[in-house]
Amino acid sequence: MTNKKYKDRLIIVLFLLPALALFISLIVYPVFNTIVLSFQSWKGIYGAPKTFVGIENYIRVFQSENFWNALLNSFYFMLGGFGVLLPLSFGLALLITSKLKGRKFMKTSYFMPVMLSTTAVALMWVYILNPSFGLLNELLRAVGLDVLAKDWLSTPTLNVWSVIMVNTWMYAGYNMLIFTAGLVTIPQELYEAGELDGCTGWKKIRYIAIPLSRESFKVFSVLCVTGCLKAFDLIWAMTKGGPNNSSEMPATLLYNEAFTFKNFGKSSSIGVILLFLGITLSLILNKTFDQKED
Amino acid sequence: MKKKVGTGILYVLAIFWAFMTFFPLVITFLSSVKDNAGITLSMFALPEEWRWSNYADAIKVANMGRAVLNSIFVALTSTVLVIISGMLAAYILSRKNFKLRKLIYSLFIIGVMVPVHCTIIPISGMATATGGKNTYWFLILVYVAFNLSQAVFLFTGFLNSIGTELDEAARIDGCNDFQLLFRVLMPVSVPIISTQAILTFVFGYGELVFSMVLISDESKYNISRGMLSFQSAYQSNLGPIFASIIIAVVPIIILYIVFHEKVQAGMLAGAVKG
Repeated sequence: MTNKKYKDRLIIVLFLLPALALFISLIVYPVFNTIVLSFQSWKGIYGAPKTFVGIENYIRVFQSENFWNALLNSFYFMLGGFGVLLPLSFGLALLITSKLKGRKFMKTSYFMPVMLSTTAVALMWVYILNPSFGLLNELLRAVGLDVLAKDWLSTPTLNVWSVIMVNTWMYAGYNMLIFTAGLVTIPQELYEAGELDGCTGWKKIRYIAIPLSRESFKVFSVLCVTGCLKAFDLIWAMTKGGPNNSSEMPATLLYNEAFTFKNFGKSSSIGVILLFLGITLSLILNKTFDQKED
Repeated sequence: MKKKVGTGILYVLAIFWAFMTFFPLVITFLSSVKDNAGITLSMFALPEEWRWSNYADAIKVANMGRAVLNSIFVALTSTVLVIISGMLAAYILSRKNFKLRKLIYSLFIIGVMVPVHCTIIPISGMATATGGKNTYWFLILVYVAFNLSQAVFLFTGFLNSIGTELDEAARIDGCNDFQLLFRVLMPVSVPIISTQAILTFVFGYGELVFSMVLISDESKYNISRGMLSFQSAYQSNLGPIFASIIIAVVPIIILYIVFHEKVQAGMLAGAVKG
């Protein structure tokens, strides 16, 4: 080997080393470790022996009502994502790409919530949703809708939807940007040509803006589905998964199994299921969207 | 005429959502300067007497000043390390030709798919084994690792998009790889570096899960932990809790106001990579 080639190799190794070392030791290795651990029983005592138990952890997870409830809650998150967040963000994107005055200010304001850290957002809303003095109930009572004043974060199912609405509030502006990025690439002439053919108002959105935003819908779908599976911070800060596990998400369940109940094997198997679901669903989504393109 | 009504409706919708966006913050701010009675009586009302002492309480009792500094310190250090290690790797992946290049690049990209929660048990174990529990350095290394995929992706893409004319000129001037990267390519890459810097900073500033797993020493809490522990321990006095929320969000709001266009572009770049 010549001297120059040798030096080049050295540079390659030296420059890659910091990133690769961190990446392998803190992401690749832990993922494999979690997979191995998911087939073992371990009470989390450092240095204590781990025993191989086959798929027992998975059986226990699939037999637990809490797990299915957590998955159902994730599904509610996705439902809220596609049913509420998507139309809202797309609507906001249409607003800020229109010719309205002050649209720059709107864009900047709409995006702001995602910057506030999740815990801060969660706590702000915990007090707004407080059953006794919270603003929402105060408002409902003030207009005579006392029957609608609820215990938003303690009533099962309703509490999950309350968090989903907070999630919507937080991420509407963020997803708006994703749709905006697609909308601004649609050439103005297309709208003008459409107008000549009598394509105005709603029809413009239906026949031009929506079909030409497929790429944005794809990005949104992948982010939404994987994000819903991983959701942790908001639920943790608002309900801790309670009361009685009613608002548990897979990620909060995983955390509790590990660090509250010390069932590290069972917790790991939830992690593996999440990893598997996340990768499968994003592959399926990518495929579906790419197929439609032909 | 019909068109005017339509535009009017659009304005109403636009203003409504702007109002919805600011409203919770305004209510939180108002509550942060009230006493218990003022909050529980009506969250709407303006405070009768502006109790700025709530802020002093949040800083003294909840140690929120320290929490903000912890958050900024950890986020900033992670950001610097992500940029340096990410740029070093991206330079190699974009400028050098070697056998494992494609494989290593794909490895980094697949990392985007890994959910944080899949790794918390082994990471917690590694922290115990290396004495990394309750240390800033371990937490920072974890934050760096989880931002590297994105950094490598963005930086490599950017370096690929700028041609090698600069490299050739620098080589003629006698630059080695180190000088070429840090003196020539880094300055040109400022736009993408600032994008990644914002993403990493925002991630690190309010991160929750790893902080919960790795940090139990209250003096090392970041803002998220600080607020949560204050909220559960100090329920009898509401004003200071609201004050702690405001203290936590002010630095990030300032950052956003100053760099809002850069931040928006950066967060978008972060989203579309997937």
